[in-house]
Amino acid sequence: MSRTGKVLLIAGPFVAGAAAVAVGRRAKRRTPARHRHVVTVYRPLVELEVTQLPGSLSEIVDRVEVSLAAAPGGRGTEIAIRIPDGSPITDGEVRRALRETRSLLEAGDVLLPSGPPTTVSTPLNRPLQKVTAHGREGGLL
Amino acid sequence: MKALQWQGINKLAVGTVPDPELRNPGDIIVKVTRTVTCGSDLHLIGGYIPFMEKGDVLGHEFLGEVVEVGPDVRNHRAGDRVVVSSFISCGSCWYCDQRLFSLCDNGNTNPAITETMWGQAPSGCFGYSHAMGGNAGSHAEYIRVPFADVGAFTVPDTVSDERAVFASDSASTGWMGADLGGVGPGDVVAVWGAGAVGQMAARAAVLLGADRVIVIDRLENRLDQVRRHVGAETLNYESDDIAGELRERSGGRGPDVCIEAVGMEAHSPGPQFAYDQLKQQLRLQTDRPVAVRDAIHACRKGGSVFVLGVYAGFVDKFPLGALMNKGLTVRGAQMHGQRYIPMLLERMAKNELVTEYLATHVMPLGEAPEGYRIFKEKKDDCVRAVFVP
Repeated sequence: MSRTGKVLLIAGPFVAGAAAVAVGRRAKRRTPARHRHVVTVYRPLVELEVTQLPGSLSEIVDRVEVSLAAAPGGRGTEIAIRIPDGSPITDGEVRRALRETRSLLEAGDVLLPSGPPTTVSTPLNRPLQKVTAHGREGGLL
Repeated sequence: MKALQWQGINKLAVGTVPDPELRNPGDIIVKVTRTVTCGSDLHLIGGYIPFMEKGDVLGHEFLGEVVEVGPDVRNHRAGDRVVVSSFISCGSCWYCDQRLFSLCDNGNTNPAITETMWGQAPSGCFGYSHAMGGNAGSHAEYIRVPFADVGAFTVPDTVSDERAVFASDSASTGWMGADLGGVGPGDVVAVWGAGAVGQMAARAAVLLGADRVIVIDRLENRLDQVRRHVGAETLNYESDDIAGELRERSGGRGPDVCIEAVGMEAHSPGPQFAYDQLKQQLRLQTDRPVAVRDAIHACRKGGSVFVLGVYAGFVDKFPLGALMNKGLTVRGAQMHGQRYIPMLLERMAKNELVTEYLATHVMPLGEAPEGYRIFKEKKDDCVRAVFVP
């Protein structure tokens, strides 16, 4: 094995773990600060109504503040959500709901991960698996 | 079924995994008949993109036969011979509507990782880490293809498997570099990298009417392929003065369009390479941008640089001054296969685009670890190893 390979062999898993943990931590760090989330859906405003949004957004729509606005340049509709102070609803739930609802409105479906799984759990995998188990809940949305 | 699995950094093995299942109504299951190594896989294998899990199935460039279709699939039926875009796209979001398919909003089940790293998430890809959706790859007997009406294309009877498989990724990616780089009649085009993608970018530039196309590499067997099959000129960066030659061959102007098809593990002669490799090993930068630097420096004023090589994160000594002061346009993208595959298949049928010579090594899937070793070490003049499950 080359010297590069040896260095990567040692450093790679730690970097992977650190990166995965960083993604999770960044998401967690934002939790108390973020109460507003917005996504643009490629459907015209005239086709959408807050009370008839599909998917997991419909499960929380009466516990958050939802507003719809036409996106500029024919880009569709901006769906904005504000989580009321003190609400038990998390930023992660809202991100997932917005992403799933966007996919339902645009593609008519929400893509599921490949299956059955081909991977095995190892101590080095676990931080990454923890992140991907909530793949639509994290990020910056 | 049998599949090639990532078992750890620089460790591959052919193992037995569960057969894939239809998960969404727009899915198909494809029996893989040809699946190709890609230089970008080496970044995964070597741990440069640290989002792999033990057991992940590699492979994203493939062709096969449809064996099962979901209830919402309209364009395919069992028995169809299809080539599949390596990126997964819904076909309905704003990005797909702009024909920027690899930017699809709905094709990645793990957007959190790349959104956190890059600000926004591109779409998912087959066999390309959990950052790109964790989709099982094509180095297997069977593969699930989501959004099949958008990403799978029936291959004309007159195009062989051996030719059509490269429409899946190499030819699409290369064509995209020339197309979105703005290549047109009369242009001088320089391409860094004479791997399959670089050769396809050069061929696209020729077909789009470029006046001169010059491909740069250090491997003579690949440069020989360029001269024989692509119809382009060549330069060897180990023996030629690249900057001087490009300036001379473009009348002192510099190439109009510079296409980088090398990626994050670029080599170069001289101290620049040692510097970049050391910084990469110490994680002070994630990628080695040697070819991008050279392309920006060589490009004519007001010209265009297109980055086709895969990069993951951050680079050092990026020539921002040259970019700004020369008024360059720099673009990059993962491949928008759905945009190009139908046209590429037509050109393949007319023999305008010949690709089968890229498959220098064809072997059973069971020999895939050895295939990747040959490919990675560029032994035996390997350009691409193709596996037959």
